[in-house]
Amino acid sequence: MAVISEARPARRRLPRRILISQGLIQIFLIGMVVVAIFPFIWMIFASLKPFKELVESRALLPETWTLRNYEEILGRVNFVAAFRNSIVSAVSVTVVSVFTSSVMGYIFSKYRFVGKEVLFTIILSTMMVPFAVIMVPLYITIANSFGLADHLGGIIITGFYTAFGIFLMRQFMESIPFELIDAARIDGASEWRIFFTLVLPMSLSPMSALAVFVYLFNWDSFLWPLIVLNSQDNQTLPLVLAGLRNLWWTRYEMWAAGSMLTVVPVMVIYSFASRYFIRGIAMTGLKA
Amino acid sequence: MTSIAGGSGASGRAETMGVWFVVKKTLRKPQFWFGFTMIVPLLIWYWIFSFWPIIQAFRMSTVAYKLLDPTNSPFVGIGNFLKISQHPLFLVSVKNTILWAVYSFIFHLPLAMLIAVFLSKVRRGRNVYQALIFVPVVVSLVAVSLLFKMLMDPEVGQLNKLLSGVGLPELQWLSSSSSALPTAVIIATWKGLGFYVVILTAGMMNIPSELYDAALVDGTNPWQQFWRITMPLMGHTILLITVLLAIGSLQEFTLPTVLFGSEGGPGNSTYLYNMLIYQEAFLDIRFGTATAASLLQFAFILAISILQIKLIRPSWSY
Repeated sequence: MAVISEARPARRRLPRRILISQGLIQIFLIGMVVVAIFPFIWMIFASLKPFKELVESRALLPETWTLRNYEEILGRVNFVAAFRNSIVSAVSVTVVSVFTSSVMGYIFSKYRFVGKEVLFTIILSTMMVPFAVIMVPLYITIANSFGLADHLGGIIITGFYTAFGIFLMRQFMESIPFELIDAARIDGASEWRIFFTLVLPMSLSPMSALAVFVYLFNWDSFLWPLIVLNSQDNQTLPLVLAGLRNLWWTRYEMWAAGSMLTVVPVMVIYSFASRYFIRGIAMTGLKA
Repeated sequence: MTSIAGGSGASGRAETMGVWFVVKKTLRKPQFWFGFTMIVPLLIWYWIFSFWPIIQAFRMSTVAYKLLDPTNSPFVGIGNFLKISQHPLFLVSVKNTILWAVYSFIFHLPLAMLIAVFLSKVRRGRNVYQALIFVPVVVSLVAVSLLFKMLMDPEVGQLNKLLSGVGLPELQWLSSSSSALPTAVIIATWKGLGFYVVILTAGMMNIPSELYDAALVDGTNPWQQFWRITMPLMGHTILLITVLLAIGSLQEFTLPTVLFGSEGGPGNSTYLYNMLIYQEAFLDIRFGTATAASLLQFAFILAISILQIKLIRPSWSY
């Protein structure tokens, strides 16, 4: 930011050496953007082509535009249910875990009790255990003790707490001054009130960062839903999409249409909120 | 709460009175009840969904797990570990996974550093470039896998059409056993690069610009500035990224599974270790050996992470 605002007034008198290097940087970055974006552009048009044309033609744009692929895929696969499942699980995990992380971050940074550091260290160290280690015992617990096999609840309940989130929120809340909280206590505010009206509003930016992180992770989650969810009506979007590979072995236009259906809603959200996504990732990188 | 743990002593009436007083005082504090109602669910959840499964994993790895009668599973000691190491695909999957991690480093790190350096130097449009380069990170990995499987089809894929269009030889991409693994890692890189670029760029923008000004006055070139200022000051961020990359790539599962199915690539060439664990556990239903395999992975990842932290951790920070 600082660089941009400094550069503006002086732009006209930039020395040639800097102009050339800036030009080269621009060309390089545009090239990278093309590499990142082009596959999606291709996918948009591929989903609108008939099969024969997709296989034979070299052109990017379709000769005959058609929506048949979308009709066929929506008729055969229950994308609406998959969508609902994905949104329900990702949103509820995000809401609950951002809340629990904030509360625990507050408690771990501002409370004193016996065994606090030990508990925090143990919770943090669970992050180092690969998911493969706990997936079998966790599945047995979910299936046998909770009866949540092939149930969306099995995905949601395992996401209620995240060690990473607790760590991130504690890091941030260490910087909230004790005096502020004590002043609120002297004024007679209850702990709940202090948390919701004082601590939370001060922590919105790390919370949004964490929310982005948790949401991306859960929206894309594949292995755990693959284990828990078996019947098609209960499956999330990634599982249903992966199933297209077996349903239509080489009908790429159907793959493209299915991928489009999953990608477009995310892209719409991203086009409005990209700033928060990037700030979220950047902030977690700097804090961690 | 302090007093609950230490109140059992029978060392005099006065002290028990004191302890009782402290307990009563603590119980009356609003902080105590707030903390109590928050910490208890945390403990219950962590016990059920984290600590207990980890403990169970260690126990399960030593028994021949009986699905229908788990409590009577016979103890086999290190039998599961021997059995998994003799699995016909064990060595293949270990080799593939290590290769995957190595390729991951080679493809991710230099390119992400390069893009981040340029992003931190560019004067116009940084936010737009960053937002667009980040797009693949947001999109579902499964959609990305399907997308590239289409683009890289050796017969009808757009990439080979592009290559032959400019007179280059067509490639086999994912369809030959020699190129399938590096090609799959290229796809993973395409998908994940934006994440590391954003973290690295944020780190670089955090370096005070006075350092570069001073270096410029001393007559250094950009190359020297990169190696003498950027790299040393980025130590922590680079350490974070290498650890994340190692942990992520050693546990890769989704991409090769969606690209090739659970057997992995032509001639098992992309069969990774996590796919072996998944197959043992949920296709062949051998919970004991699967958990033993996962504990081996745990030990390996732990060792690698510690090694990285020992090797890369900068001796100072700013």
